[in-house]
Amino acid sequence: MNGSRAVVELLEGQKVEVLFGIPGGVLLPLYDELVDTKMRHILPRHEQCAAHMADGYARVSKRPGVCIATSGPGATNLVTGVATAFMDSSPLIALTGQVATGVLGNDAFQEADSFSLMMPITKHNFRVTDSKTLPEVMKRAFLIATTGRYGPVHIDLPIDILQEEISDEAMKKPVRVPKPKRNLSGLLDAIKLLEGAERPTILVGGGVSWSRAGPEIAQLAELLTAPIVTTLMAKGAIPEDHPLVLGVCGMHGKQVANYALNNCDVLLAIGTRFSDRVTGKLSEFGTKTKIVHVDIDSSEIGKNVKGRVGLVGDAWTVVNALIAGLQKRKKRATWKDRIIELRRECTCDYNLRSDPIKPQKVIHELSDILPGDAIVTTEVGQNQMWASHFFRCNGKRMFITSGGLGTMGFGFPAALGAKIARPESVVTDIAGDGSLQMVSQEFSTAVENDIPVMICLLNNGWLGMVKQWQKHFYGSRYLATNLGKSPDFVKLAEAYGAEAIRIEKHSEVAEAIKRGTKSDVPILLDFVVDPEEDVLPMTPPGKSSDEWIKGRCRWKGGGK
Amino acid sequence: MEVITMLTYDQPGVMQRVMAEFTRKKVNVDTIVVGPCEMPDRSRIVISLRDRETALGVIEHLRGLQEVIEADMVDHRRHEGYAIMLSKGGVCRITGSVEEVESVIKKSQPDKYIEVVNAI
Repeated sequence: MNGSRAVVELLEGQKVEVLFGIPGGVLLPLYDELVDTKMRHILPRHEQCAAHMADGYARVSKRPGVCIATSGPGATNLVTGVATAFMDSSPLIALTGQVATGVLGNDAFQEADSFSLMMPITKHNFRVTDSKTLPEVMKRAFLIATTGRYGPVHIDLPIDILQEEISDEAMKKPVRVPKPKRNLSGLLDAIKLLEGAERPTILVGGGVSWSRAGPEIAQLAELLTAPIVTTLMAKGAIPEDHPLVLGVCGMHGKQVANYALNNCDVLLAIGTRFSDRVTGKLSEFGTKTKIVHVDIDSSEIGKNVKGRVGLVGDAWTVVNALIAGLQKRKKRATWKDRIIELRRECTCDYNLRSDPIKPQKVIHELSDILPGDAIVTTEVGQNQMWASHFFRCNGKRMFITSGGLGTMGFGFPAALGAKIARPESVVTDIAGDGSLQMVSQEFSTAVENDIPVMICLLNNGWLGMVKQWQKHFYGSRYLATNLGKSPDFVKLAEAYGAEAIRIEKHSEVAEAIKRGTKSDVPILLDFVVDPEEDVLPMTPPGKSSDEWIKGRCRWKGGGK
Repeated sequence: MEVITMLTYDQPGVMQRVMAEFTRKKVNVDTIVVGPCEMPDRSRIVISLRDRETALGVIEHLRGLQEVIEADMVDHRRHEGYAIMLSKGGVCRITGSVEEVESVIKKSQPDKYIEVVNAI
């Protein structure tokens, strides 16, 4: 068989069901073979969105998403999507076409050095220059993407490799990748610390979403009588209606979550890399706290927060080991009781009944109305932080967002990928008007492929998060943040064949969302929201969490 | 002087990937030795740099690379220096401990020289 046929069979062999790709000159041999496959092919309108769709698919299915782009501009357009997946440890297989090996390096038409471009933003990448290695490379890519810490893998496929003959022998060659090394030598120290802890807190990161260790962590929290604080990436990894889950911490987090994070005596951090958005000023973070850091990636231990007890292993295994070791711990109820009381104080009513509509009101209604297994994606900016702070990710709900790279335009294509992975769930993108304009062409993809997602657009006419920073930290000197000449989003969506409603009164919000969840076509809800509303509370960048800006938040800061 | 030794696959792109870890962590390396080793299709890379803390910070990332089979710090006693000097008398090769090589270079003040640290 030729290389293209081999690629198709190897993808089928990995049980790939859907490909997100845009063809091009050097990919013609591959696309010719794809005509005869049962794998579904989705044609996004921009390669970046192909990667985001595959990423959204991966985050829901927990299996690698596959995206395809042609050489040169196809590959460079893919870069943002691959980098997004890399920062959030999402297993992605990115295939790019490449000019023939004979002219590689000679500046051929549509040639870019994709191998070098992708290197720093992938877990690993390959450039196939010998057709004999093609099957091995394809198999290794899938293994690498899903072994240890997940991550994107890129394969650059020159056109002549796709045309050359591949032997059956090469196809059958088995492939192995080394298992990640576990290091639990600190386990006894960790257990000792946790046993002696008076005010333990568990910080849960994105690693827990990937390893699906939520139920075990909830069990551990009950054993330790410790509150659970999540990062943005772990929102929903443990249902937020669990009494010990305080919600998302960090710059725009719940104040009670930040309180627990900063006032515990022992912090058990699981599957998190201590991002600057979580820690605030790193030099002041955890100075009074003993930290046990659990991560599958040994290079994360001690990277940002130094001198701690480190346990290298996947969240599920380590948490079970801790549960086994902590059976004899005497329960201390005082800290737990205090936290539960503080949590009660930190549940303001954001059912704001005023016009113009407050964005919090939209999120409030979404929390109330969306079904128990709904999937929420977000764009990046104020919309993302309102969603993170106010959306109640209860039960089996899922929250998908670009946490690490912070890619505007992620949410809409990711929602399409998520809906393909789980068509039975309501999938909604909480969007901003800045982000949506970066990917609005994907209405075409949604309509063409019958992917009925709901887009809740919080339309305030600004690049709101940057505006908010200009307002608070740069003396309201606004530049390049007003989106004065935005399109009529309702007409825009309708032009693509989607449904759309504009909502301008708070009393119409709930009704619109109910209609949206029942829609069997892609639907845009254009909520015209108050441009003066900021995302608050917030901890300013580089400051510690007691220097926060309150806004509407009435929390008393733990009685201080 | 701190030395990291690696066993890697011998294929295009490995050096770029290894060096990228130093670039990302804004580490300037002092010397690099790369060459074939006792195993077919494998290479050894020996890198020296000044700061131990920095070296320890990078080494975990190097171990995470697919093409790096092993990465370890080398004990100071096993560091070896070598240099080539050019002076009026012609080309001169020096080998020995890092300190010995450095002292010879200092004493002879050559027109040109290059000094490398290696270890096994």
